[in-house]
Formats: sequence, structure tokens, C-alpha cells
Amino acid sequence: MTVPAIEADALGKRFGRRAAWALRDCSFRLPTGRVCAVVGPNGAGKSTLLAIAAGLLAPTDGTITVLGTDPASARPRVGFVDQDKPLYPQLTVDETLRMGADLNPGRWDADTARRIVAGGDLDPGKRIRALSGGQRTRVALALALAKRPELLLLDEPMADLDPLARHELMGVLMGQAAAHGTTIVMSSHVVAELEDSCDHLLLVGGGRVRLAGEIDDLLAAHTRVSAPAATDLAPHDVVESRTTGRQVSALIRPSGPLPGDWSTGAPSLEELVLSYLRNPEALTPADTLEAAV
Amino acid sequence: MTATLTAPATTDRPAPSPRQLRWLYRLHRPALLTGAAITLLLGAALLWLGGPLTDASAAAWKEYNACGFSPTCAYDQSSILLYKDVYNYTTFAVLAVPFLVAAWAGGSLTGREMESGTARLAWTQSVSPARWLASRLAFPAVLTAAATGLLVWLHRLAWTAADGRVDTALSWDHFPTFYANGTVPVALALAGLAVGVLTGLLLRRAMAALATAAVVLGALWAAVHAALPHLWPAVTEVSRLGEGPLGSGIWVGEGILTADGDRLAAPCLSGGIPGCGSTLADLGAVSFYRDFHPAAHYWPLQLVASGALLLVAVLAALTAFRLLRHRTGKTTG
Amino acid sequence: MVDYRIDRRSGVATYVQIVQQTKQALRLGLLEPGDKLPTAREVVEATAVNPNTVLKAYRELEREGLVEARRGLGTFVRRSLGAAPADSPLRAELEDWAARARAAGLEREDVAALFTAVLETHYPARTPDPAHPKTSQGDPS
Repeated sequence: MTVPAIEADALGKRFGRRAAWALRDCSFRLPTGRVCAVVGPNGAGKSTLLAIAAGLLAPTDGTITVLGTDPASARPRVGFVDQDKPLYPQLTVDETLRMGADLNPGRWDADTARRIVAGGDLDPGKRIRALSGGQRTRVALALALAKRPELLLLDEPMADLDPLARHELMGVLMGQAAAHGTTIVMSSHVVAELEDSCDHLLLVGGGRVRLAGEIDDLLAAHTRVSAPAATDLAPHDVVESRTTGRQVSALIRPSGPLPGDWSTGAPSLEELVLSYLRNPEALTPADTLEAAV
Repeated sequence: MTATLTAPATTDRPAPSPRQLRWLYRLHRPALLTGAAITLLLGAALLWLGGPLTDASAAAWKEYNACGFSPTCAYDQSSILLYKDVYNYTTFAVLAVPFLVAAWAGGSLTGREMESGTARLAWTQSVSPARWLASRLAFPAVLTAAATGLLVWLHRLAWTAADGRVDTALSWDHFPTFYANGTVPVALALAGLAVGVLTGLLLRRAMAALATAAVVLGALWAAVHAALPHLWPAVTEVSRLGEGPLGSGIWVGEGILTADGDRLAAPCLSGGIPGCGSTLADLGAVSFYRDFHPAAHYWPLQLVASGALLLVAVLAALTAFRLLRHRTGKTTG
Repeated sequence: MVDYRIDRRSGVATYVQIVQQTKQALRLGLLEPGDKLPTAREVVEATAVNPNTVLKAYRELEREGLVEARRGLGTFVRRSLGAAPADSPLRAELEDWAARARAAGLEREDVAALFTAVLETHYPARTPDPAHPKTSQGDPS
């Protein structure tokens, strides 16, 4: 078994002794080489989780291993793009990239940085403060990618981008993953945005990990069913069920063969995610947490 | 002062160390240029004060003193006044420098980076938070010490030039003069730097850190000022009851001595004042005493006060490192 | 060279779309034995899909014996598909037929319906309907 990109065990974080837990009891394992979507509503703890993995926040509870070591030691091998894409506003685009080269000696890939920035038709002499949100995202991604990280953590990377730039930069990210085997973790509250690009899912809700695993495995483990209203859905695990008229429709995790008179269908990733988020009490399948091992 | 606190390199391969200094300079170029301009202008003003202004004022005082009380005598009054004004302004300016350093350190050096998130950007390049902080303390500390050191030295030169030549020249124990002539502003500026850096990290807001750092530095100085008379053993001068307490310098305390050697508070300060003599006699007073610091205590007082301030600076810097390590997590491997 | 176009709304799994479009290119003679498929990196940079999806599609094509991966060189076409390359006589006949259908006043949909009906008669469905590639208990891998 190879070293996982991230392995969290009972991870918890709260800001201050009396504050509510931003993240609680999170356990999951992300193998290397995956493109992982961290999905959840705003305020679910996605940013906190990414910041802990990036070595920017120390966890209050539990342990986390990044690339086989602690996050602080892994920092040189990890790329991170913050949600707000902070950059020094007084520097020009070109200066920002030269700073990246100076601050990452021995790792910097100037060609990658130039290519990403060039895709945005950016004047290299322009100051960061004069850039649009999308252009800043491009520069921030260039800084993170040119560091040649083994693990790339991106917090809401596509939020400021128009559809064209989104597609292009997602292509750049996927190219990076294909060429270097970079593990990429990106958060979003828009599932559809990540569906094609990610093969692994981490669903965070209310500070907890609700689902974790390979997307294909997760989809295969769930079924959409409709049956007559009085039907007992046991012994299958019910994530969500709704009765309309004489019919009950539900999203279940089958624990065995289903009766022939139920009509079944495969859920989409978005349906799966929404069902879990709408039903905070639905049990997290323990087996899917380990499915990725 | 802080370079030794840098965390050991934690990369698993020996990577060349990041070139931070160039970017620290680039990011704070306007502040550095402003600081250099202030130092040069203030330095030039102090040279002007110690040279031509002192000469002109001394000459005017010579004229004035030669006049006696002749009503028609003319002397260069404007030179005297100009000297006095420039002396007061430059002294005030030298003492204000530490506050500028504290405000800049809190607001710009760390506060703004925490507020905008650029600190996190730096930490996720190949620069560890400890290294980031070390560079933000070490290089400004060198420049701050050099600039304030130069200014107090020039102030001292200007003050010395007027000694005995300008009748209104302020004495060594006049407090603004006392501070501006010694090492305290240097230590105060370094403490301001460390306190500013710490408040920036704590408050994570540029404007709040700027104001807080300046206020904290003011409080620190007030504390040092209150403690100043007790930072070095005072000299006691005993005088006869008819003379009142004697001894000039930095005042520490005074009163009456009894025949047994007890020290009592003095109800009045001269045996010559009617009623006072008998009151003193009732108390059993045999003499007055005064505890004070003579001019010879100037450097001991300066150095002890500076040492206390430097200790505060080191503690603030250490706290900043610990805070950052606590927040971002430490390396275990 | 093939230029994959991924249709997110089709409901067809992405890797299946890549497999289908490769086969289509093979059928039409756009890809011939010895031709090199684009690298996974080239495909994902153009389409922004997950690299593993492309690799999965290529593995599927390899399993069917259509392509072979040569280490360090890339993935190459081993054999073409079908007997109807773009310039075959059958295609010319179909072109001819389509021209006559149009001259007879048939709409595009009419032609498509007619063609599908004939296709169904001669080639009864043996693969799952591509519109629903994943049935509830289907193998998702």
C-alpha cells in the first residue's frame, strides 16, 4: 500500500475554547493520484479542512498526515490556493511570478507559470490590484502549479472564472494530474462544476465527513427506487425517502437484492450529494470511508 | 536578535533557501524610502542645529550678555528663538521615531498580510511561517537600530555643541533631552518593531494593529519612565535644616532625617520659613536629605532602561514565534 | 487524430463517450492502424475531464483489441473497425440513397426514423441502450 496523499483520523478544529466545532471527528483517506472534490454547503468546514491539510492551521483534535508526514513538514511539496486568492496588490504579474521563483528555489517551473498566465491574455506589467477576479485566480493558480506540488489544494478555485476560463484552467489542472500524477483536492459548493474532473469525493456537511470514496464506487453503492407507498424499505439503508400519493421514492444503499416490483435507477452525483445534505441524520456509510483504501 | 529562532529546515531534500530579502524590500519599498527620507531630513536638521544654529545662538547670547541692562543694545533674538524651536522640534521628532516603527510594523509588516491573506500565500510557497516571521523581524531590526542609533548620536552631538554656549540649552535631566540623547530611543524602536509584529499577528487587522502597537509602545515607555528613578541606586545628599534639601539631577525622593537616622516626610522645606523651624524641631529633624541621580548616572540609567526595553522586545518576538507555531502547527518529523 | 467532444448532458458516461467517438473515428477511417491516439494529457487539457476517465476508455479500447499501448510512446491503433471507410462503395450508395430521399421530399427526421427502423431490423440491439448505460444494478466500473 502506498502512502496516501492525505489521511485524517478523528480530525477536529475549533477556533477558541468556547467556539463551535468548525470540523469534528473527520476521518478519511485520500490515495495519491486522485482528483478529489470536497463538496458541501458554505460554512461546512471545507476551507478549514484544506487549510489544515496545507499546514496553515493546526488541528484542535485528532491527527492528519499529508504525503506521509505532518502538514508543516509537507508544506514545500504542497500547493495551495486560498478562497480569496490573496496576492500582493502592489506587485505586477511578472513580479509575482519572479517572487514565486525566488520563494520556491529548486522547484519552480517557469514555463508552466508563463503558460497559465499567457492563457489569460494578461499584460505581465499590470499590477495585481488592477486585475479582475478571474485574472487573479489565474495568477494564483500559476503560483501554485509552478511550484510543482505533489499535492494541490484548491479552495473554491473556479468561483471567479467565466465558463471559458473555467474549462481551460480545469484542463490545465487535469493536464498537470495526467503528466505528473499530482493529487488534486478542490472544494466547491457547485457539484456539477466538478463532476467530470474528479474521481474521488469528500462530502462535508456540518463540520463532518458525510461521504468519502471513489465517485464510481459511491454511485454504485446507491440506488434510486420507487415502490408502493406502504413498502417497508428495510433492511436497506435509506438515505432519503419521500412519499407522494401512492408512491414512495427513495435513495437507498441496498444491502441485498431488491424486490422485482420496485423500479430502480442510478442516481447522479448531484442527486447523491443533495440527498445526503438534505438529510443530516442519514448514516454515513462506514464502508465507503474505507472504500478508497 | 531573532535569526537564531528560525526553525530548522524541514524539507526532506536540501533545497536552497528562498530569497525572501529581495521581496521583503520590494513589498515595503515605499516604507523604506519614507523611513530613509525621514532619517536623512531629521539627521540634516540635527546637523544644522548643532552647527550653524548653535553658533548663531551662542553668538547672540554673547551679544546679549555683553549688553548688560542697556536698553538700546541690539542682539540677534531671532537666532536664539530659532535655535530653541528647532531644538524642540527635532527632539520631539527623534522621540517619535519608535512610534512610527511600531505603527508600521503592526499595520504593514504583519497586520495587513494577515488581513489580506498574503501571509498564507507566503507560507504555502517554500517559506515556513517561522522563516517568514524571522525575516520580518531581523532585517527591519537592523535598519531600525541603525537609523535610530544615527539620530540619537546626531542629537547628542547637537546638544553637546550648545553646552555652556547657549544659555537656554536644556540640561541633561530635562526628560525629552534625557531620552533623545541616549540609547533608549533605539531600544524603544526595537521594542516597537517586535510589539507591532506581535499585535499584527494577534489582531489580524492592519488599522487595529497599527493603533494598538502605538498605544502599547506608549504604555511601555510610560512604564519605563515611571520606573526610571529606581533603575539605578540613587545618590543621597544631606543638608542642614536652614538650607532646605539640596542636589540637582533626576529627583527620586526627599525628606528629613532624625537623630536616630530615620527618614520622615518633610512637612515644609526650609528651616528659615516662620513656623517651619519649630515643626521640624518637634519631629526631631536634624537635617534634610534628597535622593537623586546626578549627571554621572546618565549612562547607567540609559543602559538599564534600554536593557529592560530590549528584554520586552525579545519576549514579544518569542511570543510571536510561539503564536505562529501554535496556529499553523509544528513539524514533528 | 480524433478530437473528443464530451457532452455533459447526454447522460452517457464520459469514458463511454470517448470509446464511442474513437470507434466512430475508426469506422469512418479517420483513424487507421498505426495512428497514434492523443495522449491522456492532451485529451484532458482539451476536455477538462479526469485523466483516469481517459485511461479507462483507452483500457477499454485495448481490451477490445482496437488499440495497443506502447510503453513510453503512446497508444496506437491496431486495427480499424467495420468495412465501411469513408470512401467505400457502400458509403457512395448510401449517399446516393440519401440524395434521392431528399429529392423525394423527406425531412431529416423522416430519414433518421427510416434508417433507424431498417437498422433495428438488420441489427437487433445487442448492446445496452447508450442513453442509459448504467442501470441500477449495472456494473459501474
